[in-house]
Amino acid sequence: MIVADILTDLKSLIPEGQVKEEERQNHSLGNRGQVTVYPKSEAEIASILKYANENGKNISVMGGGTKRGYGGLVETADILLSLSDYKGIIEHTVGDMTLTVRPGTTFKEIQDYLAEHDQKVSLDPAWPEYATIGGIIAANESGPKRLGYGSARDVVIGMKVVYPNGTIIRTGAKVVKNVAGYDMNKLFIGSMGTLGVVSEVTVKLRPVPKHESLVLLSFPKGNMEEIRSFVIDLLDAPMEPTSLELLSPALSNRLINRAHYTLAISFEDVEKSVHYQENFINNSEHNAEVSILRQKETQAFWDEFYTIRPNGTELITNNETEAALKIGIVNLDVLKVIKEAHVLQDANNLVIQAHGGLGHGLCQVILKGASDDVVAAIKQLRYFVVQLGGYVTITHLPLSLRQQIDVWGEQPSYFFLLKQMKSKIDPNNVLNHKRFVGGI
Amino acid sequence: MAVKKVKTKDKHIKNLARIVESPRSILYHEEDLISYDCDGFTLHRHLPKAVVFPKDTEQVAKLVKYCDDNELPFLARGAGTGLSGGAVPLNGEVIISLVRMKRLLQVDLENRYAVVEPGFINLKLTNSISDKGYYYAPDPSSQSCCTIGGNVAENAGGAHCLKYGVTTNHILGLEVVLPNGEIIEIGKDGVPDRPGYDLLGILTGSEGTLGIVTKITVRILKTPEAKQTVLAYFDEVTDGSQAVSDIISKGIVPAALEMMDKTAIEAVESASFPVGHPRDIEALLLIEVDGISAGIGEQIEQIMEVCNNRNVREVKVAQDEEERGRWWANRKTGFGAMGTISPDYLVQDGVIPRSKLPEVLNRINQISDKYGLRIANIFHAGDGNLHPLVLFDARNPGETESALKAGTECLQVCADVGGSITGEHGVGIEKKEEMRFVFSDDEIMAQTDVREVFNQKSLLNAGKLFPTPGRCVEVKIETKEAASV
Repeated sequence: MIVADILTDLKSLIPEGQVKEEERQNHSLGNRGQVTVYPKSEAEIASILKYANENGKNISVMGGGTKRGYGGLVETADILLSLSDYKGIIEHTVGDMTLTVRPGTTFKEIQDYLAEHDQKVSLDPAWPEYATIGGIIAANESGPKRLGYGSARDVVIGMKVVYPNGTIIRTGAKVVKNVAGYDMNKLFIGSMGTLGVVSEVTVKLRPVPKHESLVLLSFPKGNMEEIRSFVIDLLDAPMEPTSLELLSPALSNRLINRAHYTLAISFEDVEKSVHYQENFINNSEHNAEVSILRQKETQAFWDEFYTIRPNGTELITNNETEAALKIGIVNLDVLKVIKEAHVLQDANNLVIQAHGGLGHGLCQVILKGASDDVVAAIKQLRYFVVQLGGYVTITHLPLSLRQQIDVWGEQPSYFFLLKQMKSKIDPNNVLNHKRFVGGI
Repeated sequence: MAVKKVKTKDKHIKNLARIVESPRSILYHEEDLISYDCDGFTLHRHLPKAVVFPKDTEQVAKLVKYCDDNELPFLARGAGTGLSGGAVPLNGEVIISLVRMKRLLQVDLENRYAVVEPGFINLKLTNSISDKGYYYAPDPSSQSCCTIGGNVAENAGGAHCLKYGVTTNHILGLEVVLPNGEIIEIGKDGVPDRPGYDLLGILTGSEGTLGIVTKITVRILKTPEAKQTVLAYFDEVTDGSQAVSDIISKGIVPAALEMMDKTAIEAVESASFPVGHPRDIEALLLIEVDGISAGIGEQIEQIMEVCNNRNVREVKVAQDEEERGRWWANRKTGFGAMGTISPDYLVQDGVIPRSKLPEVLNRINQISDKYGLRIANIFHAGDGNLHPLVLFDARNPGETESALKAGTECLQVCADVGGSITGEHGVGIEKKEEMRFVFSDDEIMAQTDVREVFNQKSLLNAGKLFPTPGRCVEVKIETKEAASV
């Protein structure tokens, strides 16, 4: 009954063809809607939000769906707002190196378009063919090249955001430097869609580097001290790697067929500079097995790399449970975390593939196996990381397990500020209710 | 015991003195307060109730709690170099000066971060770690005296933020005293992306209206292996601005890309750091490239080629660090240099999309003609951050008012082309009304909602940042009077 009402109401707001009743019941990742809407304009987004806000309905927001298993404690909201049809480039000012796009545009569509102009968005999220710019920003997703180029908060310069009451606000501007008023962009980046629906994003661009190489150093002995001392020497030299990512033996085995701890070090600059830096590594002291990928070969490596994380759009076909974690830690403690992940693999009879950036302190851990073992390993790893002063966020896990183990870990001491922010902007909990830290 | 020496009947001053534990840590006599009636924005002045100098976070928290309990308005102040009036005690605030909290608490080179107290001077951080090959990137022109706490409040920029970003891109953690005296710590140990809304991002650049920062964790960077600096002189402004676009579209990301026009050159050449720029050129570009030594030569060649294609009169590369240093000293003291060619000047801080540079410079010229006032332009051309300097003489009746109007019109032009009214100086008192050029009522309300989450009672730094309905005219008249004193 209720579903029928929502359907009728929504069809009065936006064209009928853009409103669909969900056929499948019970998605194992949750974050579903009884009814799915596909707005094609900002005004439509605003009218849907306003309707929900005024009628006690709640909304789950989705882009490409790659992060469907990231946070959220309910199987279904009243409405699933899909931004997958609200896509496309609005404005690209080549000379200013700024780009304005609609949120449902996939990352790959953006990069392919920009490549024609030798420009790029300097983020490197997982599943670029599926992940949308809106989702990447809402989840503040970054990859190994964060070391060289920063994260979404360093890239986004302006947005338009639809508030739960239907008001549309602009944040920032289409300029690369701006301190007029509060830096409202930051509020929405990483907010997991709990404050507003991003309806437009402006990012600053970078030139595609003239040359690129990837140095892969595998350490057969697996001696962490040896890796640590190599990394410290590299970081203390005036080299400019854009990634300095440590891969666990299991992940290294999957990607390059070498079951050792491996460092993936990227250099992106003019050719002379890239060669100079490759030589620096070749000439430095280490007992690692080295291979160097150049230009297109590097892209093939990264293309594969960006598909290692579980993809929320894929249906689970076997009984194996997959989980993914984002871990933040003091930079060099990444060594300890990746090692611990490796150790937990055998201790829990799981496949655990992990990588972490030694220059930026973020790790990603992917676990596969029986659900009890996965949950046990997450708890053990979280205990280990928290002792070191870091945090563990679960970025992918089936709904039933998310209800057992807290996705976000311990609440920060200033949680009351987050809660007040939410209730100020979304007092009726219309958007992505319980998707974020502390049940926000 | 010492507290007995505080001679006043005001019980609040006595109590505040008790919190800071020494009569030497509080000022309350009018003659002492005068130096605190404004900051780097001198057109608007007001005496504070008192100035207190806490020595640690605990004292700051106690002072704030006292003010909150007793409904006393208060604000934080660093070195007072702010250019938009953010530290002006509009409401007779108790000023909490953070200059005595100036310790460098921790440097962790391996993990690339440092922890400082808010009163620590920007340049001192780089000086403390440069021997080991590291530096702190944000470099506002006032870096030899401004504090990192103030940089956080204003989200300070600088000449080198084109490549390396502004303050917000380098802040990893903050300890903050909230307006009710509660202490919170965000981003402990510099661990990135802790779950929750990005309060670091909101606090940075909030101009001291959300809380008082008492400890700051900043990212430090490895000093680039090499840097080279190019100076190019142009006979036409449009050639100079085209060269800017050409350099960027070659895929070069310069560390800095600065421009000065003829009037600005006249000023810097008459001031303390002349370097012999020709007086008859229309524009100069100061371009710096840094990075791996092996890759720089090629980029410099490309830059020289671009300049030559744009009819440059002369283009040269700094031959050594000494020459490079002189070029930068000449540029970084540009604002102050205006004093040599004009009794008064007013600096603006608009931002435009880089491609609009020729159009905007043209319109600024028209504004200059309209008011009969010279406008010098010094700007961070690479990121489109303009600093039009309106030259005037406050002794001439009406000229201050004309200068203010001209400055405001320059900002309107920036807003018209899709830019912003401030790139690094902040809104403060100065550009409160101009906020309406870029934000709707809803957008301003979205921001005041954020303020209310932190600062419900509005005792902390009230009357800044946001336009007050109906107050526009009042403020302008007041500033004019103050300026003509």
